[in-house]
Amino acid sequence: MRAVYYDGVTADRHDIDVELDGDWLIVGPDRVPLSELAVADEDKSRLLLSRPGSAGWRLILEQPIEPGFRARLPHPTRYGSWIDRIGLAKASLVLAGVAAGVLVIGYTAPAFIAPLVPESWERNLGTAMVGDFGDNACRNSAASRALAAMSRRIDPAASGRAPITLTLIDVGIFNAAALPGGQIVIFDGALRDTKNPDAMAGILAHEMAHVRRRHVTQALIRELGIGALIRLFAGDVGANAQQLVSLSYTRANEYEADGDAIGALARAKIDPRPTAELFRELDKDDGPDFAAAEFLNSHPASGDRAKRFAAAYRPGVTYTPVISAGDYKAMRDACPLKHDAEHEKEEAGKGK
Amino acid sequence: MDAMTSAAAGADRAVRFTGSWREYLPIAATNVLLTIVTLGVYRFWATARQRRYLWSRTEVIGDRLEWSGTGKEMFIGFLMVMAVLIPFFLFIQFLFPALVARGKMAAASGIMMLFYIGLIYLGGFARFRALRYRLSRTYWRGIRGGSDEPGWNYGGEYLGRVALSLMTFWIVWPWAATRLWNGRWSHMSFGPLKFRTELDAEGLKGRWAAVYLVPMAAFAVAGVIAALIGLGSAMSGSEPNPTFFAIILGLFLAVYLIIPLMTLNWYAAFYRKAADALSLGDLEFGFDAGTWDWLKLFLGNIGLAIITLGFGISFWGYRNWAFMIRHFHLYGEVDASRLTQSTTHAPGEAEGFADAFDIGAL
Repeated sequence: MRAVYYDGVTADRHDIDVELDGDWLIVGPDRVPLSELAVADEDKSRLLLSRPGSAGWRLILEQPIEPGFRARLPHPTRYGSWIDRIGLAKASLVLAGVAAGVLVIGYTAPAFIAPLVPESWERNLGTAMVGDFGDNACRNSAASRALAAMSRRIDPAASGRAPITLTLIDVGIFNAAALPGGQIVIFDGALRDTKNPDAMAGILAHEMAHVRRRHVTQALIRELGIGALIRLFAGDVGANAQQLVSLSYTRANEYEADGDAIGALARAKIDPRPTAELFRELDKDDGPDFAAAEFLNSHPASGDRAKRFAAAYRPGVTYTPVISAGDYKAMRDACPLKHDAEHEKEEAGKGK
Repeated sequence: MDAMTSAAAGADRAVRFTGSWREYLPIAATNVLLTIVTLGVYRFWATARQRRYLWSRTEVIGDRLEWSGTGKEMFIGFLMVMAVLIPFFLFIQFLFPALVARGKMAAASGIMMLFYIGLIYLGGFARFRALRYRLSRTYWRGIRGGSDEPGWNYGGEYLGRVALSLMTFWIVWPWAATRLWNGRWSHMSFGPLKFRTELDAEGLKGRWAAVYLVPMAAFAVAGVIAALIGLGSAMSGSEPNPTFFAIILGLFLAVYLIIPLMTLNWYAAFYRKAADALSLGDLEFGFDAGTWDWLKLFLGNIGLAIITLGFGISFWGYRNWAFMIRHFHLYGEVDASRLTQSTTHAPGEAEGFADAFDIGAL
């Protein structure tokens, strides 16, 4: 057989004859054991042989190659050695099964693992992550008392359970969030836009449910586990897939938290209608208030939530306000608005 | 033996791409399938298969290139890099919000600053390593390329030049980009031969100035038209009509289209000049793609992806490679008997760093 041979030492082309001799291939002056040969590439026009261990050693045989000789050479790697061995169709099914298993475990495991994580661990992590919020926290004793009174009404059985730390944050966006370690933050923007203390109680009850149900821990585990894994390997496509799944998962948590919040309001005899009214308003203005839109993104549709809270109203029940109007005013006035010009001056004065 | 191989023999191109999309289709389809069912892990093997095909369909002076890299080594390389980078990223991810939450804004911005400096440095390092890896796995007539430099110095040079460009609103980019090209390629080799390159910003300044000046001119024209229409409606005493706003909006959009187009216009010239400035032994290189060619490539890629509902993305690598090879030229001679095997060390982490920083092939 005619062949082109490159020895891997120089780029010189050697046009030579090769001949099969038992378990050996005679390549010009060399004898090479067949077991040492690998097929680097094969197509309709040629067969490219290499010799692992001898970098650059290449033998090019033109097709068609005598079948008897070809049969004694290994197959080239196609999809990957493992997939080649069991076949593409079979391998795809097995891999798809494994992938489905990984996804199912990845997205359900956090819910099972979260309750097993000691609250003290989470508390340490939360303290390490957020600390005391520094200058962003609004420290005002009247507001703190009002906030504590509000949380006592919503969660009267709190004694004996892990404490929840409530903090008002001097940031003008409409948001409230549960953070690791039983921390709940309420942004000043949410306080300013929520005129009725009972609506604020609805928001607070919802966030407290997230803490009690260990949803925060679940989110952390999900983020550090499956989320990181998928983002690592799948790039952009995976990020979109992850966004979809984690969003629906978060919504399941949100739905549960709403249910708990409605229950807590009912037990405390707090009117659920102001909360429903708040969601109705949020549902209406998705345009200009982008902060509100952001808050809505990870939550179920506000219209549905409004209906759910409104449906919880019972005409026969005597509802009482969660805290007095005066106490709620103290909460709303707790944060010295940073965008206030006077406050800016004050800050500058402090700096000197 | 034919010690001398001439590159510009006859009318035949010295570099040719002989692949066909029909031949590539089964590779693309199975790559997509396996990448999906492995949640992305297969992408390293998919890249290796794609390159093995593209390289084998690229003829350089009568002989086909060969890609010898494997999916396994790229996968392991990626894991090695991630083992180093992930703890670092996690640390920053926790440290930064912790500092912000405590109101230590100065410390937080300091950390972020250091983080970005680190990212730029590693980005440059990754570029160097990716080029070195690709050369080390590219065989022609049994000979491969590579580099003896590890790329740490290049990372520093990259950081310095990018920082300077950032500080000058990218005005000095033609100087920085050309020197970075030299910094990369002058440390690369094929066989015993070192690549030589003396690229400078000469001839690239005008097009770069256009990146700034053409949008400004368009902006000025838009302003004048807006003023004229505004004046017109003011004189007639009517409210500015909706068409007025539509025209203004269109002009502003045009400005945002002009900037990337002018940048592409610059890069087209940059790559032509860069290839011209490059040589290896007695071989000279050339590249003849104009701005319009690049635009057709990109629009074609996007169009293909749209009409195939995304599947066409798996053909981007094929199209980009075919584009590069079709516009690439080689002149001169190779003394085959003096083109001996490369003694450079082949990197073990493959393209792990480039993967980590998502640096593309082009």
